Amino acid sequence: MPEPVIASVGASPLGRTDLPGRDLFSVALAEAFDELPDPATLVEAVYVGNQSESYEHQIMYGTLLAEWAGLRHVPAERVEGCAAAGALALRHAVKDVRNGEHEAVLACGVEKMTSAGTSGATDALSAAFDRPIEQRSGVTAPSQYALLAQRYLHETDATERDLAEIAVKNHANAARNPRAQFPKEIDVAKVMESDLIAPPLKLFDCAPVGDGAAAVLVTTAELAADLDRPQVHVAGSGASANNIAVAERNMTDIAGGRIAAETAYEEAGINAEDIDIAEVHDAFTVCEALLAEAAGFAPKGTGYQSYQAPAERADGWTDVQLSPSGGLKARGHPIGATGLLQALEAYEQLTGAAGDRAVEGTKTALLLNEGGVADAVTVGHVLTTAEAR
Amino acid sequence: MTDGDLDATDPRTLPGFFDSLADGELLGGVCADCGQVLLPPRPACYACGSRAVDIEPQSPEGQVFSYTEVHTPPPAFAADAPYTVAVVELADGGRLLGRVAADYADVAIGDSVELTVREPTAAEREAALDYETDWPVHVFEPR
Repeated sequence: MPEPVIASVGASPLGRTDLPGRDLFSVALAEAFDELPDPATLVEAVYVGNQSESYEHQIMYGTLLAEWAGLRHVPAERVEGCAAAGALALRHAVKDVRNGEHEAVLACGVEKMTSAGTSGATDALSAAFDRPIEQRSGVTAPSQYALLAQRYLHETDATERDLAEIAVKNHANAARNPRAQFPKEIDVAKVMESDLIAPPLKLFDCAPVGDGAAAVLVTTAELAADLDRPQVHVAGSGASANNIAVAERNMTDIAGGRIAAETAYEEAGINAEDIDIAEVHDAFTVCEALLAEAAGFAPKGTGYQSYQAPAERADGWTDVQLSPSGGLKARGHPIGATGLLQALEAYEQLTGAAGDRAVEGTKTALLLNEGGVADAVTVGHVLTTAEAR
Repeated sequence: MTDGDLDATDPRTLPGFFDSLADGELLGGVCADCGQVLLPPRPACYACGSRAVDIEPQSPEGQVFSYTEVHTPPPAFAADAPYTVAVVELADGGRLLGRVAADYADVAIGDSVELTVREPTAAEREAALDYETDWPVHVFEPR
């Protein structure tokens, strides 16, 4: 079976931009192909992660972005799974290469979230909730996650201050990431005193609305070697859908995250202890705590210690470092691109291109990308250096 | 599978479920194989995959499992904010999300509440899809 690798990555600026989605994609693609032959000579298929047609009144992003890349008559499609769309696109590309169908597949993601302001984004994101009960009750993304956070604080020793510390840690990481939407440090008081959005969550517990695109080229190991590219192996991939309605799930045991991670570990032949860094889906601070537990990094009820140095965490924690990019919170969260921005961070960490934020000795990374509320759908990938493979 | 004859009178469809709810009756699906309660009812049990789903009236009484307050509402509900929402665990075991007719500060996990049903407001009808226009809205009242 061919071994899928990531051979190149690129991203657009993240945040409020003056570029529409297709143009953001062009910027991301240009970075990814800066040292490669033109896409038309390499790419055999395209998958586009994209949350919502409401931002640009546009579907058909597969066709559109393939065309903008100079490709015609290749398989191309939009992949939808709210904020997990990017990792779903990556997973499709990985499977196409692994099963021998293609040698080079472009996984990309794009979202133009600022086109209709905060209320437009709030409305578009609410489409991810179950319509008859959840949407008609007027819940929002922050309030859905606040329901998880309220329950998590009730069941564990975690405090609102601990959740704030997760945001502080991710901002500190983003301060060393030139790609970050918010490359600046904050303190706990800044989080605690920020506007109440949905208690116990405050503005600085929430990832921002922003534009962005990312492009990830998945190829066979042989092709990446022929192209003389630094390569990162996609050693494992897992995905899991859970109930769409939050009320019907276990709200503090993120089963979908656990299954997606364990499936990826199993394919890679590793355990949670082998993961050096993890980019997890911290759309809201509580998510990082919950996913640290789901991924097997932390004993149940201690995931909120993700901001602490490994030696300070509870017994049973691994030494993993979470969200070195700054996470969704501070790196940015352009919904359909997020899963691929996670892959981009791991690629740079694993190929020695992470600059000041490099986590020393990183050989193995876990990506956990979620869509809908929490684990409505979760996609996990294990990426490794060629040596570790 | 034997659900080819599902129609809008069947409580395993949304129109059927909301028709009963409009009459004040909360119907749940109850898995004949594993006992899982499904709210609203649906043709298959997510817990075990069985398609043997019975329809049974559910107690409207329950307890707050988690709750919050919406400060940044979707555009359709802007006039209502801030409002309290909760996940409620009902006495017969199912869980349902809904608004709570109480201030956030007056709600706590474990509080007893009761599901009530009202007709949609003019604003809710305005925001509704055509087929949802007459569907009732459920609200949890503190007990």
